[in-house]
Amino acid sequence: MPQPIVEIRDLHLSLVGGSGPVNILRGVDLSVDEGETIGIVGPSGAGKTTLLMALSGLERPSKGSIRVAGTEIGGLGEDALARFRRRHIGIVFQSFHLVPTMTARENVALPLEFAGIPDAAERAKQALDATGLAHRLDHFPGQLSGGEQQRVALARAYVATPSLILADEPTGNLDSETGGRVMDLLFDLQRDQRTTLILVTHDRSLSDRCGRLIRMEDGLLMAAPGGP
Amino acid sequence: MSEPSLLAQSLRLVRRELRGGPRGFGVFLACLFLGVFAISAVGSFTASARSGLLADAGALLGGDLEVRLVHRELTPEQRDFLERRGEISRVVGMRSMAGPAASDARTLVELKAVDQAYPLYGRIELAPDQPLSQALAPAGDLPGAVVERALLQRLHLAVGDRLRIGEAVFVVRAVIAREPDRSLRAFTLGPRVMIDEAGLRATGLLRPGSLVTCAYRLRLPRRESAEALKDDLQTAFPEAGWRLSTWRQAAPRVRQFLDRMGLNLTLLGLCALLVGGLGVSGAVRGYLGGKISHIATMKCLGASGRIVFTTYLLQILILGAVGAGCGLIAGAAVPFVVSRLAGDRLPFPLVPDLFPGILVSAALFGLLVALAFSLRALGIARRVSPGILFRGYGRAEGGDPGTAVRIAIAAAVLLLASLVVATSADRSLALWFILGAAGCFGIFHLLSAGLIRAARRLPRPGNPRLRLSLANIHRPGSPATSAVFSLGLGLTSLVIIALVHANLDDLVTETVPAEAPAFFFFDIQPDQTRPFEEALRRLPQVSRVEQYPTLRGRITAIDGTPVEETTIDPEVRWAVRGDRYLSYSAAEPAGAKLTAGRWWPPGYSGPPLISLTADLAKGFGIGIGDTLTVNVLGRDITAEIASLREVDWSTLELNFAILLSPGVLEDVPQTHIAAVHVPPSGEEQVFREITGRFPNVSAISVREVLGNVSRTIDRIGGAFRAMAALALLTGFLVLAGAVSADQHRRIHDAVIFKVCGATRGDILATFAYEFLLLGLAAGLISAAVGSLAALAIVTGPLEAAFSLHPAIILLTLGAGLTLTLVLGLAGTWKALGQKPAAWLREE
Repeated sequence: MPQPIVEIRDLHLSLVGGSGPVNILRGVDLSVDEGETIGIVGPSGAGKTTLLMALSGLERPSKGSIRVAGTEIGGLGEDALARFRRRHIGIVFQSFHLVPTMTARENVALPLEFAGIPDAAERAKQALDATGLAHRLDHFPGQLSGGEQQRVALARAYVATPSLILADEPTGNLDSETGGRVMDLLFDLQRDQRTTLILVTHDRSLSDRCGRLIRMEDGLLMAAPGGP
Repeated sequence: MSEPSLLAQSLRLVRRELRGGPRGFGVFLACLFLGVFAISAVGSFTASARSGLLADAGALLGGDLEVRLVHRELTPEQRDFLERRGEISRVVGMRSMAGPAASDARTLVELKAVDQAYPLYGRIELAPDQPLSQALAPAGDLPGAVVERALLQRLHLAVGDRLRIGEAVFVVRAVIAREPDRSLRAFTLGPRVMIDEAGLRATGLLRPGSLVTCAYRLRLPRRESAEALKDDLQTAFPEAGWRLSTWRQAAPRVRQFLDRMGLNLTLLGLCALLVGGLGVSGAVRGYLGGKISHIATMKCLGASGRIVFTTYLLQILILGAVGAGCGLIAGAAVPFVVSRLAGDRLPFPLVPDLFPGILVSAALFGLLVALAFSLRALGIARRVSPGILFRGYGRAEGGDPGTAVRIAIAAAVLLLASLVVATSADRSLALWFILGAAGCFGIFHLLSAGLIRAARRLPRPGNPRLRLSLANIHRPGSPATSAVFSLGLGLTSLVIIALVHANLDDLVTETVPAEAPAFFFFDIQPDQTRPFEEALRRLPQVSRVEQYPTLRGRITAIDGTPVEETTIDPEVRWAVRGDRYLSYSAAEPAGAKLTAGRWWPPGYSGPPLISLTADLAKGFGIGIGDTLTVNVLGRDITAEIASLREVDWSTLELNFAILLSPGVLEDVPQTHIAAVHVPPSGEEQVFREITGRFPNVSAISVREVLGNVSRTIDRIGGAFRAMAALALLTGFLVLAGAVSADQHRRIHDAVIFKVCGATRGDILATFAYEFLLLGLAAGLISAAVGSLAALAIVTGPLEAAFSLHPAIILLTLGAGLTLTLVLGLAGTWKALGQKPAAWLREE
């Protein structure tokens, strides 16, 4: 029986804006099993991206608990969270967030290098091979198309074989055809590595490919109507 | 509809661009400010000192015309000639020993005896204030003396105490606060003591052959007639053997010294400006790099490349004018500020003023540097493709500025070089400077390119932080080039100055051989030579004594041709400028090395012969068998050169450039000079015994003189070090600018690193390794280039032995490392503390 890799209990998160604190997450409960693919949909401002950030330890919850891969991450310090991320979490952003002055291979090698893995460059090359970018190893992001840049970002997210991939609108900046190819790759990698995937998207065709669909509204999760 | 003019359009855009103030131009403004300030400050200060010297020329010389004689006075006929032309004043100068009447302490002083007419120009200021004649007049049975404060400090005396000079005792009546014709030499052998002529006679120091200088100053009804009177004097008394100076030639050495200092300091200031040029270039590149999408948008909306270029060129010229203008104002204020704060303590008068020529040239330097270093970035911005808006990650680096801009850059550089040559008093030095600067830029360009290439090619280190920092060095947009260039150039100039200074100091202090004499005693009367030698022999501390008769004479003709008409190598021109010590000897001096001819035989009494040093013979273009004419006490003596000698002056042994054969000078009034060798522990006792027993004999302590020279070198070195520090400060500014321009990228990288699992320690270590490597590279390169340049200067123009000072090199390396690290980490601190979530949201 699969074990839950993510367990969120009564998660609250407020951010201080110009007109005082804003409650973004207002009591989220979620359990995700190992190897599961979850699609989170919902209107803009519902708190989808904030939930991903809290899951990755980039945003600290105001209340509640987040347990990822058996670790309560709410109590970890900034550096402990960084070390936790390098072992367990891969992130894919809508706007790629590659380091523009590093080549594709250097970008992909980064998590391995921080983890002190000696053959980081070789493994980065293999990861880029797997995303069909073997011929772009030494290209800088500015020399790659949008689709290629997102494939580099996918390779970077998967290269350290994390147990959880968090993807925030990964095709939001791509045309539908390129987006489709990137998503094929995302799900292929997820299946090959049996990684857990939590995907935030507005794209119905994309969310439909997830094993479970969750709707988020006004900082709360609810089962999505019409989900599998 | 007519299109608005290019200038009108560009000015409108500039106005909008500048609405936000000079944001992003801090380093640009600071670099231009510092460079232009350095040049205008040095120029204005030197010009103020020159005008001070000219305005005060009469007072400095003591009159409109000065007739200077050594050992003797004017003949009644000569004096009569002068008295008929103007008011005359006589000043007698000599060196002597002085000490408290109540103890046997003694020190060497510069004694000056003045008459009632002194000073013809200017005013002597005494503390307590009183007329000079009153201060010097006898009160009771003792005459008065006024002295420099340093004498009171050295001898622990106060105003009112008694001072013994020779056989006379004086009462110190006042301290000299200002002496109008004060010595402008870089250093003197002792403090000034002023007495009147009756007082001088009472000392008993005026003996035949004593080294006494008589200066007759003349105030003329018309100052301009001084030159004509000088010619008249030379025609009327061609054999007089005197030295004539007019007010126009007052303090020529100070003027030469100031000019030389001014020129060298200006070139160092120019170094600072050129290093600042890198800051200018970095700031403009960074600013325009941030404007790429803005420029692309303007182009999409129909702006031509010319509009873009003109807009940003105007903006840079306006901001450049602000930076350079502030530098000009601050530089022009320097002579006013120095005059107010330290006017009286300066060794020369200062007349602060505004010097438009100097300010215009400093402004032009600033403008041309701003242009030469920003045109490339402007050219690249002009060619930004609007297509960049449709791609991510627009890159500001690289790119081609186009042929027209390349030609404009070459023209600006050429104009800059021409301006350096045109404004320099020494064209060949200016050309060497341009070559050196171009060479330095070339070397540092190659070295920084090499460093980046090496970082790219080095095997990937096992340590991931080191690996990332190496990647940071060779990645596009890395501050490596700026760091190596700017910090390297600044540190190099500091290494050069520090090493040259240390080697000059070595020359004065360490290279003096252990067997150098401790004292030179002079003004020993011929009848004192035997008792003097016996007194020394009784002192067990004295290991060796050498004594020579000595006179002062000046070379008037070389092989029959008057010196004014001969071509003399500048290296030895000093030998014909004034009176020189000469001597005679039957025996060949110990340690002399004859290089040509033969020493005269024992008992020689034939026609006058000369033994000359080989360097003088070479510089005069004469050899064995040629003649040299020397004027001693108004008498010309022509002698044939019998031998040439090699003399190593650095041993400080008693030596003479001109030695005559016996039988020529014996009857001329003369004194003896002795070099006495004593170990340091015995110096004080020997000094007390001899100066106490022979009050007319003066002593020069070699240790004290070398201390004085060393202090002078320190003072001059201070000015140069300050200028080099300015170049280094500019270097740091440039580096700070480069790091700050890189800040946005570093924050972005730090956030991505954190997302990828990097701790703050990882990020700090990565940045620290990067800046350590850059600092090490800049320090090593500076140490190597600076040492080579110092070697060239010390062994070339300074003709001294070079020694490497590892402490200075290590200090430079340490400074390079520490400051790069501090600046680098200070500039990236923000990146380290950046919260990823907030940044990711904003992006």
